[in-house]
Amino acid sequence: MADEIFAAAEGGAPSILGIRNLRKSFGTLDVLRDISLSVERGNVVSVIGPSGSGKSTLLRCATFLERAEGGDILYDGQYALRDGVFAPKQELNRFRTKFGLVFQNFQLFPHYTVLRNVSEAPLLHGEDREEVRERALSLLKKMGLAGKEDAYPYQLSGGQQQRVAIARALAMRPEILFFDEPTSALDPELTGEVLKVIRQLAEEKMTMVVVTHEMPFARAVSSRVIFMADGVIVEQGGPREVFDDPKEERTRQFLRVFER
Amino acid sequence: MSLMTMIVKMSEGLGKTCAIFFLTLLFSLPLGMLVALLRMSRLKAVSAVTRFFITVLRGTPLMLQLLAVTYGPYYLFGAGVARNKLIPVVIAFAVNYAAYFAEIYRGGIESISVGQYEAAAVLGYSRAQTFLRIILPQVVKRIMPSVTNEVVTLVKDTSIAFTVSYQEMFTIGKQIANSETSFVPFLVAGVFYYLFNAIVDAVMGRIEKRLDYYR
Repeated sequence: MADEIFAAAEGGAPSILGIRNLRKSFGTLDVLRDISLSVERGNVVSVIGPSGSGKSTLLRCATFLERAEGGDILYDGQYALRDGVFAPKQELNRFRTKFGLVFQNFQLFPHYTVLRNVSEAPLLHGEDREEVRERALSLLKKMGLAGKEDAYPYQLSGGQQQRVAIARALAMRPEILFFDEPTSALDPELTGEVLKVIRQLAEEKMTMVVVTHEMPFARAVSSRVIFMADGVIVEQGGPREVFDDPKEERTRQFLRVFER
Repeated sequence: MSLMTMIVKMSEGLGKTCAIFFLTLLFSLPLGMLVALLRMSRLKAVSAVTRFFITVLRGTPLMLQLLAVTYGPYYLFGAGVARNKLIPVVIAFAVNYAAYFAEIYRGGIESISVGQYEAAAVLGYSRAQTFLRIILPQVVKRIMPSVTNEVVTLVKDTSIAFTVSYQEMFTIGKQIANSETSFVPFLVAGVFYYLFNAIVDAVMGRIEKRLDYYR
């Protein structure tokens, strides 16, 4: 079964991200129980589910912020985690250049200008100064933040800060971008501007995994929707399947809350 | 002795007061960071030993520590007492203040959210880069008020050097007070310390203001 998931969709090319039998617990609490999934290039995968279902922990394991106890994580078919053991540090660093992560509460560096927030990481990786600057400026423009290069994060609204955070992640030119509830910390009137840029990235075929509570958004942008509860994937499929015709009672129960 | 003579004689000790002050800061500020890092070490033994030294240094009088550093070698090993008292004075002061600075640094470092480390880690910052570029600058800003407190205290604590007869301003003042049976030298000393600290306040205020460009 797991192997079928990993047999790639087209021409045998490996999935950008593959997760197999992932397990993670905090003390006696099993947060992730046997999670398997794969993400193909150009796809947008939404992860939905009640709080405490393990969605964020899944992203944190995939980005090495949490140490999973068992299972495999593969990027481009290469093991970052094998049977619960991480690859050597050097290799993990190489894997880190493949993904980006956008946090719920932005986590911009408050003492840096917007431009430095976006450009420092690529510079530390030894990229050319002029090239990085051009890229950062064009990403900021794309995020609707032209003219904000010299502002500090505290001078921006939450929505603007989150868009800077997206630009910062993109500046490393990741092959896959993770979003951990990117609009949950925002005032309701500011979620639209952030969702808009994510949608724009989806149109450009950016590979993304989005943990979200924004159901209409998930339905609109996703190639696939994963519903998680109690540390397991209860159901997954195309957005229409999951939202309009859920197979599992647990999924129906969860979605009903959002219809009210 | 006229007031003017007292002031002149006591100001001759100000150079030594300043020497204690600046040398203590020069050594204790970086030493405190080292102690803070040891205190936060993941190795339990290192952290526990460091913690013990901090409790000793903070839990006993600086005056006692100064006496121990100055005369301890004589009583313990029969070694001579340092001719230049500045050396034991600065050692005692720097170590004592390092313990206080270490706890201030630790508080500052622990107040930075884990998310900042995580954001840096995901972007591929090394541990050293994360600490030096992301964490430390934010720590410095947060701890400035507490550091100012310590620096102001240090100005006044320099007077403790009189216990080992180091000829700084207060020691001279005390000698004059004894020989002249006068309280005036103490008033002069008070004014000197007050003015010194007015300068310290102004300088620290400017540094804080310069760090005001972000929140």
